[in-house]
Amino acid sequence: MIAYLVNLATLIAIFGIAATSLNLLIGYAGIFSIAHAMFFGIGAYVAAQVALTVSPDFLVAALAAAVVAGALSLCLALPALRVRGEYFVAASLGLQMMASTIFAEAHSLTGGVGGLVGIPPARILGFDVASPDAFLVLALACLAVTLAVVRTLMRGSFGRSLMALRDSESAAEAFGKDVRALKTLVVVVGCFFVGIAGALFAFHMAFVNVESFTLEQSVVLMAMVIIGGAGTLTGPLVGVIALLSLPAALSFLPFIPATEIGTVQQFIYGALMTALMIFRPSGIVGLSRGAR
Amino acid sequence: MNTPVLLSARGISRSFGGNAAVQDVTLELHQGVVTALAGPNGAGKTTLFNLITGHLVPDRGAVELKGASILGLKPHRVALKGIARSFQDLRLFGSMSVYDNVLSAIEPTPWLWQPGGSSGAAARRLQVERALDATGLAELAGTRAIDLSYAETKFLSMARIIATGAPIWLLDEPASGLDPASRARFVKLVRDATAAGVTVCLIEHNLDIVTELADRIAFLDQGRKLAEGRPDQILGDAELIAIYFGERRE
Repeated sequence: MIAYLVNLATLIAIFGIAATSLNLLIGYAGIFSIAHAMFFGIGAYVAAQVALTVSPDFLVAALAAAVVAGALSLCLALPALRVRGEYFVAASLGLQMMASTIFAEAHSLTGGVGGLVGIPPARILGFDVASPDAFLVLALACLAVTLAVVRTLMRGSFGRSLMALRDSESAAEAFGKDVRALKTLVVVVGCFFVGIAGALFAFHMAFVNVESFTLEQSVVLMAMVIIGGAGTLTGPLVGVIALLSLPAALSFLPFIPATEIGTVQQFIYGALMTALMIFRPSGIVGLSRGAR
Repeated sequence: MNTPVLLSARGISRSFGGNAAVQDVTLELHQGVVTALAGPNGAGKTTLFNLITGHLVPDRGAVELKGASILGLKPHRVALKGIARSFQDLRLFGSMSVYDNVLSAIEPTPWLWQPGGSSGAAARRLQVERALDATGLAELAGTRAIDLSYAETKFLSMARIIATGAPIWLLDEPASGLDPASRARFVKLVRDATAAGVTVCLIEHNLDIVTELADRIAFLDQGRKLAEGRPDQILGDAELIAIYFGERRE
C-alpha cells in the first residue's frame, strides 16, 4: 500500500511539473497547445538516451532533456505562433500527430513502438536515488523548483506581459510588447520544464515508449490544467491530483469490477469536465482569486 | 502652426476588398497641439489610427515620425518610438489589477525581466503612482480592471497612456459616455499634458469636448479628408455639420 502511494505521489509530482509548464502557455499566455505530450516525450527520450549511453546522472539527463525540448519547441513556436487562436491549436495538433508517428518509427532514437528499455536507476552526483522514496523526494524537489520559478516569473514583468497579451493582444502590442517574442519565449520556457518532467518520467518508469506521449496524453494534460484552474499557480497541481487520484480511488470501490474501472473513469472525467465548464469555468482553484 | 510637425501621414490609403476605408488622407500633428478627427461613423478615423500605429499597413502613402519613416513597423516598434494610443473599446488587461495594467504598459521588454535593475523598477513604480494619482485611481490600485465602473475604465485607459511618458497620444473616443464631472477631469488631463508638450490626436463624437480641447479639426467622411482647420472654421461649416449629423452630400 505504501509503495502504491509513493508511486502515485511520484506520478503526481511528475505530472504536476508537466501541467504547471502547460499552464504557462494556456493559463497565462492564452496559447492553446495540444502538442505538450510531444515535448514531454522528447524530454523522456533524451533523458533515456543520455542515461543509456552517456551517464545515469539525473542532473545531466534532465538538463539535456530540458534543453533539447526547449530548443525543439522553437519548431512549434516560430512557424505556428504566426497564426492566431484556433489556427495555432490546429498547427499544434498536426505537430503532435507527426511526433507520435516519429516516436513510433525512429527506431534508432526512440526504440520504435517497443520503446527504450532498461533505463538505469537515477544517480545524482554519484549518489544513488534509485529507491522509490529517494526518487519521490527528487520528484518533489523538482516540482517545488518548478513552482517557485513559475511563481517568480508570473509575479514579475514577464508574467504581466503574458497576461496582458492573453487579455488583449492588440493593446499589449500598442504598449510596446513584442508579442511574437513573448509567445516564443513562453513556449520555450514551458517546454524546458516539461522536458524535466519527461526526464523524471523516464527514470521513474525505467522504460519509455510512444504510448505515453500521444495526443490523448496532451488532452489529459490540458484537462488537468483546465479542471484545476488555468492561470493559477496551484490549479494545475490540483487538477493532476484530481485526475490521477481518481483511478486509485475507484480501485478501492468494491462494487466496480476491476475490468470496468477504465470505462467508469472516462465517464467521470467527461462528466467532471462538462460540469466544471458549466458551473466553474475557471476551474477548481480558479474561483479563489488570491491563488493567482 | 508655429510648432514643428512631429508626426505626419501623407497620401495614406487603405482598402478592404473593394471598400476604400481611407483614401489619400494627409494629416500632420504639430508638437503640443490637439488635433481632433471628426466625422460620422465609418469615416475612417479609427482606421487612420491603425494605419499610423502599424496595426494596419497602408496600401499607399507615407507615415513619418520627426521626419523618419515608420511605415511598415510593427505596432510594438511604433509604440516604443513614443506613440501611445487608446482604443475605442479600451482593451484593458481585464484580469489584472489597475496597478498592474499601468505597470505592464511601461514594461515593454519581452524577456524574463526588465532592464535597469531595482532603480529601474523603482522609477517605473513612481511613474505608475503618478499616473494613478493624475487619473484619480490611486485608491483602486488593487482592483481588477474588470471590476471597475465605466468611468474608471476610461481613466485607466488614460493612466496607461500617461505612464508611458509618450510625446504623442492618439486617443480613440476617450471621453464617450462620461458624465459631466468626469468629462471635466478628462479635459484637464489632456490640457495638462499638452501644456507639458504632449501632442494629441483625438477621435471624439462629443462636439463640446472637441470645442474645448481641439486646436485643429480634420474632418473625414467616407475615408476622405474633406477639410481641416480651426474648430470655428470646421464647426461653422453648415455642409460639414450636415454630413456629421447624417445628411449625405449630393
